[in-house]
Parts: sequence; C-alpha cells; structure tokens
Amino acid sequence: MRGNAGGERLPRMSCMKSVRDPTHLCRLVLAAGTLVHQSGGDTARTAKIMSRTARALGADTVHTIVSSLNLGVTVELNGRQRTVFHKAPHMGVNFRTLTGVGRAVNALEACRIGPGAFESLLDDLRSRPNYYPRWLTALTVGLACGGFAALFGGDLAAVLVTLLGSGIGSWVRLWMAARHYKPFIFATVTAAIAALVVGLLAKQFSYTPEPAIAASVLFLIPGVPLINAMADMLSGNYLNGGVRLTMSAVIIAGIGVGVSLALRVVH
Amino acid sequence: MNAASWWLELWAAPAALGFAVLFNVPPRTLLPACLLAIAGHTARRAMMVAGSDIVLATLVAALLIGVAAGWWGRRTRQVSEVYSVCAAIPLVPGVSMYKAAQALLGIASVETSVGGEAFLLDAGVYAVKAVMIMLALAIGIAAPMLLWPRR
Repeated sequence: MRGNAGGERLPRMSCMKSVRDPTHLCRLVLAAGTLVHQSGGDTARTAKIMSRTARALGADTVHTIVSSLNLGVTVELNGRQRTVFHKAPHMGVNFRTLTGVGRAVNALEACRIGPGAFESLLDDLRSRPNYYPRWLTALTVGLACGGFAALFGGDLAAVLVTLLGSGIGSWVRLWMAARHYKPFIFATVTAAIAALVVGLLAKQFSYTPEPAIAASVLFLIPGVPLINAMADMLSGNYLNGGVRLTMSAVIIAGIGVGVSLALRVVH
Repeated sequence: MNAASWWLELWAAPAALGFAVLFNVPPRTLLPACLLAIAGHTARRAMMVAGSDIVLATLVAALLIGVAAGWWGRRTRQVSEVYSVCAAIPLVPGVSMYKAAQALLGIASVETSVGGEAFLLDAGVYAVKAVMIMLALAIGIAAPMLLWPRR
C-alpha cells in the first residue's frame, strides 16, 4: 500500500486563525489531496499538497499516504494525534482543479484566507469543475484529431471526416464517462464508433483514408496517466506508477479492440 | 521535402488545443500551450531532417517542451503540466500504433502459419517503435519536473 509515506516535523505557522480540532484538520487535508489526486496530479504532487495544507492549518507533524485508491493522513496537533483515511479512486484530468487547489494552498500559507474560506474554495472547485460545455469540448477534440490527420499526411477531406467522426466519438465518450461506464467499455465503444464513421466516409471522399483512421481514435490515448506513470516511476513511487501503467494498457487494449471491430466493417 | 510542407507543422496547434479543452485548462493558457506544441513538433521534424531517428528526435522535442513549460509555469504561477502535457500531445506516435494494430488484424486472417511472418514482423516492429516513442515522450516531459524541485 505504500505510495508516498513521508513524515516531517514542521515549523509552526504563525497565522492567527488555525484549526483546533485534529479531525477537522485531517478532513480538510484529505479534501485538498482528493481533488489533486482525482484530477490528474502525480503521487508526489498529491503528497506535497497534503503536507503543505496540514502545515498551513497548524499541524505539528504530518505523515501522508497516497496509494492509487486511498488517501490517508496522520497529524499531531496540540499533543493529540489523529489518523483519517478515505477512498479516492482515479478519475479524469482537470487542470483547473489542480491549479485551483495549488492557489488555495498558497493563499492559506500566506495567511490571506482562513480555514473556513479554504474549505469553501475547495467546495467551489468540486461543484463547478468545467470551463467549457460538452459540445465545445467534443468539437475541439474533433478538430484536434483532424489536426493529427493533417500531421500524418492526410488531405483536406481526411481532416474534415476525422473532425466529424472524432467529434461524435468524443461526445459519446464524455457522455459515457459521465455515466460511470468502465474505461475498457467506453474506450472500445467510442473507438469503434469513431473509426467506423471516419473509415466509411474517408473511403468515399478522401485519397488518404489511412491517416484519417489512424488519427480518429487518438483522443482516447491516456496521455496524462502515462506521463504521471513515468513521473511516479522516476520518483520512486513504483506501485502507483505500475497502477497507472496498467490502467493505460487496459484503455489502449480497449482502443485496439474497438478499431479492429470497425476495420472489419470498413474493409 | 519542400518549404511549403513546413506549414503543416501549424496543425500541431489545433491538435494541442483540443486536448487542452478536454483537460479543462484555464482559457488564458490555451495560446501558450498551442505555440509550445508547434515549437515541439517543428523541433522534432528539424531533428529528423538533420538525420536523427524519430525516438531521439521525440526525446529532444519533449525535453524542450518540458523545460519551456516548467519555466513558463513558474512565471505564470500555473501547474507546469498545463503547458507541457497539451504541447506533447501532437508528438504521440499515432501512425505506428495504427500500423501495429492493422498488422495484428492481418494475422487474424491468415489460414496457415506460412503467410504470418510478415504480419508478425510488422506488428512487432511498429509496436516497439510506438512504445519507444511514447517512453521518450513521457521521460522528456517528466524529467524537468523531477530535476527542478517543486516549491
């Protein structure tokens, strides 16, 4: 279970307001850690945010555990020790949340906000996570895959059909992810839809169908889990890195199954 | 390799933009991420024109993106991944992955083992190539974050 377990004796912060109840302190620390962990932070970043939060709230010592499914923290406050654990499975990627939690912790450390304002900032990040509506996201992701088709040497028709097929595919992916389908299922279904639409249309209209089909499913590649896996492996968090690699491999296998189904129909 | 084909590198910008929107980055960071994506993809192409293989070229381009994103992230008080991850997306080896998948499908259709070697060879070569490029990409992006201690 050891993800990143580290303990430090910390200098006390000198803010006027700090939390008196160690359980409340642990809850706030876990809330901040969960937001970072579930929106694409690597293990080291999550652990760091948790210990910084604990320190800013007035803890004397703090020990954190970040595993791929659970977060835990032990703090000592005014001679009392408390340990709180909770479940925090991986979710999507959300850089707004990552940046927002970082800024909230900065403000807390600089004594610009107190624990109450910190808590409501975290609630705000949790309840309004998105800048962009779903249709806009689907459209720009479609455009991204069109860009890939061009980079791979496709003609203009290839770019346009990829835009359409990947746009539909990524809308379906967002819809399925919001309904908590498992990654393997939505990777397979979405890859099959995108590759099928693009394959059938590209055969009709484009001289270069292959780059279009190759580009059509790239929006499913788990880029952030792969990069975080590397970051975890290189910083010594082998178990969490292994979990992220395995998760990526499952999604890539799903893409492979989906594309192979679609290609049988197209050819 | 004519001069006009270098304009194709500009397609790296929409490719990065789409993923930036998907990852919900703050709107102010969209433009720098797109510019960094174009710079990274052009750097890889320049390396390959100069005679490097695609794996080394990807590693160098990813390091460039990682260092620039780390520096810019500090200046603008953003998480550096906001820039680096989106900019690295256009370097993903989509064609190699597709060719590997297609060769594997070819194996499914051969009747005896005689015709299968070519497919197996293709699948292996392209899969290994794709994995090496992905590794180069991930290491290049992650290395600057690990070498610079975080605040």
